[in-house]
Amino acid sequence: MVGSNRVVLGTGIVHVTGDAKLPPSEEKELRRKLVQKALDALQSNEKL
Amino acid sequence: MRIAHYLNQFFGGIGAEEHAGKDLEIRDGAVGPGKLLESLMGDNAQVAFTFVCGDNYAVEHQDELTAAVLKKLRDSKVDLFVAGPCFDAGRYGVAAGALCRAVQTELGISAVTAMNEENPGVDLYRDTVYIVDSGINVTKLRDIVAKMAALGKKLAAGEAIGSPGEEGYLRRGWLRDQLVDKSAARRLVDMLLAKIKREPFESEMPATAFAPVPIPAAVKDLSKAKVVLVTDGGLVPKGNPDRIEGTAATRWGAYDIKGRNDLRAEDYEVSHGGYDTRFVQEDPDRLVPLDAMREMEKNGVIGKLHDEFLSTCGRSNPLSNTRRLGREMVEKIKKEGIDAVILTST
Repeated sequence: MVGSNRVVLGTGIVHVTGDAKLPPSEEKELRRKLVQKALDALQSNEKL
Repeated sequence: MRIAHYLNQFFGGIGAEEHAGKDLEIRDGAVGPGKLLESLMGDNAQVAFTFVCGDNYAVEHQDELTAAVLKKLRDSKVDLFVAGPCFDAGRYGVAAGALCRAVQTELGISAVTAMNEENPGVDLYRDTVYIVDSGINVTKLRDIVAKMAALGKKLAAGEAIGSPGEEGYLRRGWLRDQLVDKSAARRLVDMLLAKIKREPFESEMPATAFAPVPIPAAVKDLSKAKVVLVTDGGLVPKGNPDRIEGTAATRWGAYDIKGRNDLRAEDYEVSHGGYDTRFVQEDPDRLVPLDAMREMEKNGVIGKLHDEFLSTCGRSNPLSNTRRLGREMVEKIKKEGIDAVILTST
């Protein structure tokens, strides 16, 4: 929705917290980063 | 015509808020506004019996209340079910809407209710139940009951129901084909000219309005917070035990992840007709990032990860479903003392 904060952009539709094109260890790192971004957003009142 | 009427503790003459816990009573004949309903219906219409129930009881025991009402109606021949009018009494409106819908769906009996547009019952039931727009002013009771009577009569007789404006009910969100004299081009230009001249005009297709939701305040201390993972990507345990539909889902589930550090392909499947589910099927953490969240929990970034993830399918799901699904999930989330939600969506 326009104007919503706390929306983190995932990696596409089919693997929103992953990336099938990456080797497993890199994919895990990507996921960690996305989750951390989400956790940061929870602690912030700013628009992302 | 035989009518069954539903009233809350106040309109049923029991008392005010202190009696909201009163359980269901079934009384013969009309009570309170039911007598007005009878007289305005005319034609020897009779309220055969009246259900009177406290608002708190109705909301806290909705299933039992519905079952009891359906049972009584099954055993008696009734042509119309009337609930309220509820004005802006929220618990009353929710109960009235739920009962009207159940009576229509389970027994095929016509139903009508009335409430203010802001009543939570409207959001939940407007698309399936005829809700007369009552406004908030209880002094208008007579007018409102008159509209309910007129609409109820038509419904019970199986007559064609006019537009919301004509009959006085709240827009249900339905589009209807109709033959008219002017072409669409002429009607549109007329509307535009009226708009430019600041004259009133009526849109033929009002846009859905979303009431803005105030953004909750940030979590103060995440390291002490309890977080839950929720998804609308349709991830379910193998076998889809709750039979969550892959389109326009009407159900959601809460699935145990206690002690798990990772979601394994063999334990889950995806019920969602809207995307290629291969990648999530291979590794469900790609949709519900349990492994990463577990690490966050172990490292003290978050206080605790809730022992279940909540799931439903968002595909082609009308607001009439998702508003309810969301509300139900929130009830559970609040009950579990959860501080924050991470919702993953495809």
